Amino acid sequence: MSDNAFAVRLEGVTKRFGKHTAVDDFHFDVPRGVICGLLGPNGSGKTTSIRMIMGILGPDEGSVSLFGESPDVARRSKVGYLPEERGVYKKMKCLELVTFLGEIRGLKRTEARRRGGVWLDRLGLPQWADTKVEDLSKGMQQKIQFIGTVIHEPELLILDEPFSGLDPINQDVLEQIVRDYHAKGTTILFSTHLMDQAERLCERVCLISKSKKVLDGNLREIKASERRGIVAVEFEGSDDWIHGPEIDRVEDVGRGLQLVLQDGASHQPILHRAVAAGVNILRFDLVEPRLHEIFVRHAGDAAVGDAGMPILAGSDHEVATSSHTSGRRGS
Amino acid sequence: MWHNVWAVIRREYLQRVRSKWFIAATIGGPVIMAGLLVVPAWLAVQGDRDEFNLAVVDGTGVLYENLAPRLELGGFAVEEARWHSDVVTELRQRSNEGELGGFVMLDELTLETGEAIYYSMDVPSALRQVTVQTSVARTALEYQLARQGVDPESLMGGGELQVEVISNAGSDVRDPQFAVAYMGAFFLYMVILLYAVAVMRATLEEKTSRIVEVIISSMKPSELMLGKIVGVCAVSLTQMAIWIGAVATLLIVAIPMMVAARPELANLENLVEIAPGPGLTLLFLGFFLLGFLMYSGLYAAVGAMCNTDEEAQQAQFPMIMLLVVPIVMVAPVIQDPNTPMATGLSLVPLFSPILMWARVSGGGVPSWQVALSFLLMTLMVWLIAWVAGRIYKVGILMSGKRPTLPELWRWIRAA
Repeated sequence: MSDNAFAVRLEGVTKRFGKHTAVDDFHFDVPRGVICGLLGPNGSGKTTSIRMIMGILGPDEGSVSLFGESPDVARRSKVGYLPEERGVYKKMKCLELVTFLGEIRGLKRTEARRRGGVWLDRLGLPQWADTKVEDLSKGMQQKIQFIGTVIHEPELLILDEPFSGLDPINQDVLEQIVRDYHAKGTTILFSTHLMDQAERLCERVCLISKSKKVLDGNLREIKASERRGIVAVEFEGSDDWIHGPEIDRVEDVGRGLQLVLQDGASHQPILHRAVAAGVNILRFDLVEPRLHEIFVRHAGDAAVGDAGMPILAGSDHEVATSSHTSGRRGS
Repeated sequence: MWHNVWAVIRREYLQRVRSKWFIAATIGGPVIMAGLLVVPAWLAVQGDRDEFNLAVVDGTGVLYENLAPRLELGGFAVEEARWHSDVVTELRQRSNEGELGGFVMLDELTLETGEAIYYSMDVPSALRQVTVQTSVARTALEYQLARQGVDPESLMGGGELQVEVISNAGSDVRDPQFAVAYMGAFFLYMVILLYAVAVMRATLEEKTSRIVEVIISSMKPSELMLGKIVGVCAVSLTQMAIWIGAVATLLIVAIPMMVAARPELANLENLVEIAPGPGLTLLFLGFFLLGFLMYSGLYAAVGAMCNTDEEAQQAQFPMIMLLVVPIVMVAPVIQDPNTPMATGLSLVPLFSPILMWARVSGGGVPSWQVALSFLLMTLMVWLIAWVAGRIYKVGILMSGKRPTLPELWRWIRAA
């Protein structure tokens, strides 16, 4: 694969602020056309990494490339960048602002204006076109800024915490737009501290903690390799067939049972026993580890707990996306 | 590149020109100034129009003939009343009946001292009093001068002062116009500071709101800085064009019209004579433009290196000093425009807009010095653009504490 196959490539990047090392020897690729999540607790170095990708900060060591070249203006203008801090010209009217943002990215004024209008419609803001940005709510300002990010149809979207500050409905709207861009072949890199969101959206993930990369790669492959042999079963009938040499222990999780297997054991014999016993199997699932668990497993509980990430009690526990968006700080 | 810069200029210009502040300052400023000057005069003129029948009792027997036309010019309908013992009673009665607005009594004393008595039904306006008083005094003076065989016309016209500058330095000999020099210098100080600070604030706003991170992803910092400065510059020139236009209209159209309507307002014509001509106005704009370009570059750099308004307030102190020095020197320089110190200081590019203006508008400065100051200022603009551009480039994306001087020096060398 040539360098150009990567939209973003970081090689051994280190960034220090005084004595604090914000990003430490970071190697990271984003192949073209994928949705990639940059995950980590607050203060782990996500934003610093993104700012280096955008050429806003220069790395102290290592190199950054965008589309195989150094991140200069020509390269950056092919990127739609949504910074973590929501900067807008407060005194401008919404449509004027998005038109201006389109213009400086090379669109003709009339075209920028037309697209701006289309986007305002799409995000349900057409009646606000002539309202000053400062008169809008934070969430609406964020949508305006998002329009400014995508108005020039960039090849690469870099979104720093795009979902924080949005209500669940608008998070869904944004998620759908991100999927649409992905379907069109746009490369998308976004940072988040919300594991669930990343799990739903990403093909690739990169987990960082305390300025260091923990893990990265294809999400499905990561999950497959991290699978630890837990089988969730529901059935009608006797449970005599369950016990065998593969089983480490059995947990009752309300709906059915979770069978925790011995290391390296196969689930296949259990299935055979169940069929032989003639019970009515309602569910026989290999439980995938959740991203959060993988993260905790690799980064350690301490790192996660420190940063206010939720620590999960049960392995199959649903985490509400909206419940831990507080305490966002520049990382 | 130009597409982006143009978009920045356009945004900056439209946002500012459409702001309430701009409209208030630009349109409101001259309107209020003109209003303060013109409206009272106009009201006085209108208020006194044709309401007045004035009788004159000429006890001297020689003044009425010349006095009557003067009073008529001043808007009175004049009639002569013969003197007799009951004339005051009679005229009072006529006034009470509304036939007369009042009457003036002249006697022998009037010929010597210009004194007269003015009986008026109402409290006369200041303008009316002055009209009557000067008309009477001038007529009396004219009478006395004529008796001495002197030409009253030229003496009473206020004389004429012809100024010849005898030092050979003068290339552009003209009447010294101190008022223009002073006012122009202070005006230059104000507008340069006002608009340079506007550039600083705009830069600071972009930096603190972090929108600059988005903008920088599609243009170079130097392009953004150029767009900002040119945009604000266009706003300032628009404002000044409106002001100059308003003043010119006032001088060329409004004042002659008023004087034609009310000759006793002839003093206003002096304003027209004092006002700078087109040449001087262009020179003024030139000094403003180069002064603005120098200082806005410095202020943009200050805006880029600071994070808060308070920091910027402190950091702009050196720039304020650079502007205050020439302001302090304006008075001595106008007094003695050609001392070595005045010449030297006025050639320092950062002082030139104010001090060279003060010298030039006073007259008597060799053209080569003016040309040299413009050349030096132009070079300074490039130098500042180079240095400030480097500070801007690093500072605009930098957060954290304000850089120290050694750090600044590193920015300039590194960028």
